[in-house]
Amino acid sequence: MFSDTEVQRPSGRHTPPPGPDWAWAAYHPDTERPWDLRLAGHLYRRAGFGATWDQLQQALRDGPARTVERLLRPQGDVAGFNRTYDEYEGAIDPGSESTEGVRRWWLRRMIETPHPLLEKMTLFWHDHFAISPARPTNGAAFGQHVQLLRAHALGSFSEMLDGVAYDPAMLMALDGASNRKTRLSLPFARAFLEELTVGPEQFSEGDVRDVARAFTGVFVLRSRLRLVDREHDDGPKRIFGREGPWTGHDAVKIVLAQPAAASLLVGKLYRWLVSETEPPSEALIAPLAASFAKDYDIAKLVGTVLRSNQFFSAAAYRQRMKSPVEYALGIVRPMEGVVNTEALGNDLANMGQELCHPPTIKGWAGGRTWITDSTLIRRNNLAWALLSGSEPYGGQLDPRGVARKHGHSSTEKTSRFFRELYLQDDLGPAARQRLIGLLSGGESGRGDPVKFSRQLAHAVVTLPEFQLA
Amino acid sequence: MSVSRRAFLKQSLGASALVATGASVPAFLAGTAVSAHAEPPKEEDTILVVVQLAGGNDGLNTVVPYADALYAKNRPTLRLPAGALHKIDSHLGFHPQMRAFHRLYQEGLLSVVQGVGYPNPNQNHPEAMRAWQTAETKTAEAQTGWLGRAADQLYRPTSGRVPAAYIGHIPPPFAVNAEKAIVPWVRSLDQYAWRGDAPARARADAATPGADSRRTQPDRGNALLQFVEKTSVTAYASSKHVEVAARAGAASADYPNFQFAALLRMIAQLIRAQVGIRIFYTELGGNEPGGFDTHAGQALNHGALLEQLSESIAAFVRDLKRDNSLDRVMLMTFSEFGRTVLENGRRGTDHGAAQPLFVVGGKARGGLVGRHPPLDDLDGVGLRAHTDFRRVYATILDRWLHIDSRAILGEGFSHVDLLQA
Repeated sequence: MFSDTEVQRPSGRHTPPPGPDWAWAAYHPDTERPWDLRLAGHLYRRAGFGATWDQLQQALRDGPARTVERLLRPQGDVAGFNRTYDEYEGAIDPGSESTEGVRRWWLRRMIETPHPLLEKMTLFWHDHFAISPARPTNGAAFGQHVQLLRAHALGSFSEMLDGVAYDPAMLMALDGASNRKTRLSLPFARAFLEELTVGPEQFSEGDVRDVARAFTGVFVLRSRLRLVDREHDDGPKRIFGREGPWTGHDAVKIVLAQPAAASLLVGKLYRWLVSETEPPSEALIAPLAASFAKDYDIAKLVGTVLRSNQFFSAAAYRQRMKSPVEYALGIVRPMEGVVNTEALGNDLANMGQELCHPPTIKGWAGGRTWITDSTLIRRNNLAWALLSGSEPYGGQLDPRGVARKHGHSSTEKTSRFFRELYLQDDLGPAARQRLIGLLSGGESGRGDPVKFSRQLAHAVVTLPEFQLA
Repeated sequence: MSVSRRAFLKQSLGASALVATGASVPAFLAGTAVSAHAEPPKEEDTILVVVQLAGGNDGLNTVVPYADALYAKNRPTLRLPAGALHKIDSHLGFHPQMRAFHRLYQEGLLSVVQGVGYPNPNQNHPEAMRAWQTAETKTAEAQTGWLGRAADQLYRPTSGRVPAAYIGHIPPPFAVNAEKAIVPWVRSLDQYAWRGDAPARARADAATPGADSRRTQPDRGNALLQFVEKTSVTAYASSKHVEVAARAGAASADYPNFQFAALLRMIAQLIRAQVGIRIFYTELGGNEPGGFDTHAGQALNHGALLEQLSESIAAFVRDLKRDNSLDRVMLMTFSEFGRTVLENGRRGTDHGAAQPLFVVGGKARGGLVGRHPPLDDLDGVGLRAHTDFRRVYATILDRWLHIDSRAILGEGFSHVDLLQA
């Protein structure tokens, strides 16, 4: 709906910040803001995990509108791909308490998927419904939880929330696995309101109690959902001023009718897709929240954001820090290879992002917290392990081979290729000079082009610019 | 071989620019003049080391009330002969294999805080451990550990450094789970090594520090990018400081040959490297069958663990003394519970309640803190606590780390007299 709005575009760079109408109208390239490699790379970093060379080139040919459309609804058998992976995950030992298998397959899916935006959004919802199987649970239940998030990741948020509210992994993690008339599960109800929907200070203690009452009769036994009628309190409840004999399904609808719920979600999505440095003003968020509140259509919201002027403006460009997953996959995907995701899962955990184990229900803090001396050393070392062909990743990524495949053999051309592939050559003059400097007088380059390609690729992905999404 | 503090500093600060010290440097640093100077420690930069004893330590056979007739009566096979104990006074003595702790005690470097626990103690391992790790004794809902919360308080996102680290071989305990701070799990100092060969040209540039002055100019006003650039320099410096520190200080030969001693040595090296870590967490017992959970045939296992504990900590103290850092460091131990006063018929003991904690450091008050809990007034089957463990936490947070304990523990607790005034 926003893309159709006729709006005034600001005339120059130094005009006051444009309003929400301009921000959420579709970006149309012009001489001032041409569609170029830089913006194509930006789009693929946010809507996926980085682009291959062919994807960047196709995006340049197609322009932003068609590229966003393809990211939202890719050609190719996405459903078939995901069914296959669901089957792989189905083979995880149901008795296993560990989520390592889930994590391994999920990372593999992120690398190989024909629909990266779907995985990116599944990760977003994992960060939002940030449960961790810290209490007795099992890996299979958590795998089903992630599959549930994926099934709705670009679908309807109402349906997702309704599914999650009755999801065994969720209920177990939030102490909601045994909700009796006489012994309410308040932690689940509180988290449901405070963290997952309307946010802090937007509800009363009465709302918490009556949401808990609405969910009475919900149990998890041996990791499976059980609804026990005689434990359900069917008396009248009052949730956000609405009275009735509500069930949990009703509670989901009533809570989502609160404007605060849509605002909270749109604000989080803004931070995820657009910028973590500048919190959006209420006025900026308002039109998106109002539209989202009507249908909770996630794909529509994501599409509006990805097509927007705001998304392709300086307010968004390099205004996010890559999470460890984004950093690692941003190295792997452009290199067109697959790596050992069991090892990768462990390395990512050591950088602060243990998939299936967010630190708290608030999710990962993100932004600058990703970057410390310790995590940067580990990012550097992971990049080297991935690109150098050393254990435990083996020689699965082949920088030299990828450069040659795209027609670059000389060291100069290879160097420029990696700069364009990974950073669209958007570097300060000093950094570019330095990388060019690596070419002259490099004995290693003359001696061993394969090794030299690995060193060059590593030099590019350890530049500070590459830590930004 | 050990290197004195002086030699260490010389080694660490000798080069005018870091980039000149390494054989190869990352491309983003090539030609950049980076100070190798680790910030000298400030007096208020105190360091806390917490040692978790996994399994439930039998405090009664650790600090032994040998003069109490009820001790011998309750421990028909496990009682330790008075003559073999390292006597503290006419009533108490350390386990025979804790000679090193006795010496620290005599030097005034070790406090024994007696009778520590909490009301309605939990006797289930994970639940009791969670209570100690979260400092939340009534519910299991805490999302963070007490030291994770302390790390979040100390953490300054702009600093690019982490205030806490977990050093150990079992997965990170919940105590260090933080909302914001990413607490690294360190298994080997190798994890601080900066990997990757820079191509040859970067090395050549490195020989001429300051050659690339453009790097010092702000980079087109992106604050996030500037932050990453600054932290990249910090990261490279930390890597080098750890490398140097790993060569200084006590050699592994100066530590006993225990896995736990190697963990403490790593902590001493990281303290020496001055990479800004204020809180270290480590553990003993979690990596071996049973650990301190001595339900049967307790004597041998328990003695061996206590020997590892006291000998390793004594070596750590000697190491820190060498460069006068002992006054900046405070170490405390805890276990999830003590054990039953009465032995169980299998030459072992079961889950109990109160236990003694040890606090070691140059600024520890030394001596006994609180009385030994009476053996004729039990809390169920274990000793009755008279000192809530959160009082110990509050004392250390407020008076040692200078963090408001109310912000960490949710309420105020009166202090325990375990630090020097």
